[in-house]
Amino acid sequence: MLYQWRSVLEYLPDFLRAMGLTLWITLLAFALALVCGLGAALARNSKNAVLRLGAGAYVEIVRNTPVLLQIFVVFFALPSFGLRMDAVTAGTVAIGVNVGGYLCEVFRAGISSVARAQREAAQVLGLSSRQAFISVIAPQALRNVYPATVNNLIQVLLGTSLLTAIAVPELTGVATVINARTLLFVQVFAIALVLYLVLSNALSFASGLLGRVLFKPPLEQVRPGLWPVRRARTITTTAEVAA
Amino acid sequence: MTATTAKEQSIASSIQLRAVTKAFGSVQVLKNIDLDVASGKVVVLIGASGSGKSTVLRIMSGLETADSGEVVVGDVPMHDPKRAPEIRGHVGMVFQQFNLFPHLNALGNVTLALRKSLKMSKAEAREVGLRCLERVGMQDRCANYPSQLSGGQQQRVAIARALAVNPRIMFFDEATSALDPELVGEVTSVMRSLAADGMTMVVVTHEMGFAHRTADRVVFMDDGVIAEQGSPEQVLKDPQHPRTQQFLARVLEA
Repeated sequence: MLYQWRSVLEYLPDFLRAMGLTLWITLLAFALALVCGLGAALARNSKNAVLRLGAGAYVEIVRNTPVLLQIFVVFFALPSFGLRMDAVTAGTVAIGVNVGGYLCEVFRAGISSVARAQREAAQVLGLSSRQAFISVIAPQALRNVYPATVNNLIQVLLGTSLLTAIAVPELTGVATVINARTLLFVQVFAIALVLYLVLSNALSFASGLLGRVLFKPPLEQVRPGLWPVRRARTITTTAEVAA
Repeated sequence: MTATTAKEQSIASSIQLRAVTKAFGSVQVLKNIDLDVASGKVVVLIGASGSGKSTVLRIMSGLETADSGEVVVGDVPMHDPKRAPEIRGHVGMVFQQFNLFPHLNALGNVTLALRKSLKMSKAEAREVGLRCLERVGMQDRCANYPSQLSGGQQQRVAIARALAVNPRIMFFDEATSALDPELVGEVTSVMRSLAADGMTMVVVTHEMGFAHRTADRVVFMDDGVIAEQGSPEQVLKDPQHPRTQQFLARVLEA
């Protein structure tokens, strides 16, 4: 039994390289998703009907067709229109654009979650609607949707496994290759699973820290359940406040 | 020079409403309202919920537009949609629910408009902001966020925020209605000190004590019209209109 693990662990450098690529694609795709999502959210709330319609179409198409198909379209179909990308770029773009559609709706919900009274208070004070959006609405909206946004980051991470279909050497793809070579599927996929868990928890943890720095007064822990000690501390402080 | 400034001031902080109407859908909220507020005066609007008091205030502060009639606030004709935005930053509004910006601390709330709208430097805005907080007795809590303040403290910060832009007129929309009874006093005392300093104020309130002691004129609104107005002595102690009598009987009984 042990020698099986040992022979799979020989592939650890390949696993780690794949893990690195997975993280890299995740971060790039998520950055693209943030840009697409924010742009689409603003466009969907804009006064310009063309912008509104365009953004609406984008969100509806992206959210109502399979991601895998979207990946195929970007990688296989776009080259026919002269847009040729390597698999990593195509996969990053496809996932970024896809999650952007979901983030658009998250951001829109965030913007409408800020009470109209906040806008009115800013208006009477003499802020322009742009100033009110930037200084009053957006910071509160972002705070309200931060947990949902972090969820989407995790979705991007898990979604990168689909890129195995266009032969991107990310974690799932590399695992299937090593599996084919060793036929030790229990060990191979167990390692892949653990590495995904490490990645997703590291991302959640980093997001939680970022959230603490970003928001004042401080945001609650994003995923308190995963950090029992911290959770216990949160509960005691809440109890103290209540008392 | 001083005389002209004083004259400008006296023109700039009066309010005239002529034949103002406003409907929300099929509900006629204001029916033909005429109201004058002279510069430096405190006018208190009283009346049952839904009588249109808050709508009058919101029209005067530019948050709503009248369907018809003339509204002149300061020297801005609010019925002209092109010119109405000129009023922004020249009047202060204090809301029932405070509407402080929860992501900014007390000083941040007070200085936001100074920085963004009046383009003051950080140091300058801070100085003005602290002075305004001091005015309402909140300078010690300038670093606290709204969620860390009591209702009365939040409302005082909201008043400081409104004062920071140096408004010519202050509107109070049930500023004490959301407060615990023991916190009402700290807010009304700030309001009284503003009145004593000669600020033009229009106040919607259910605090009859405040109306009686501070108002120059009390206006009773009923179902979208001004049913009765006069000195506090007249309206509160010797109401003529049966609706005013009913309303006061109910309020004073409670």
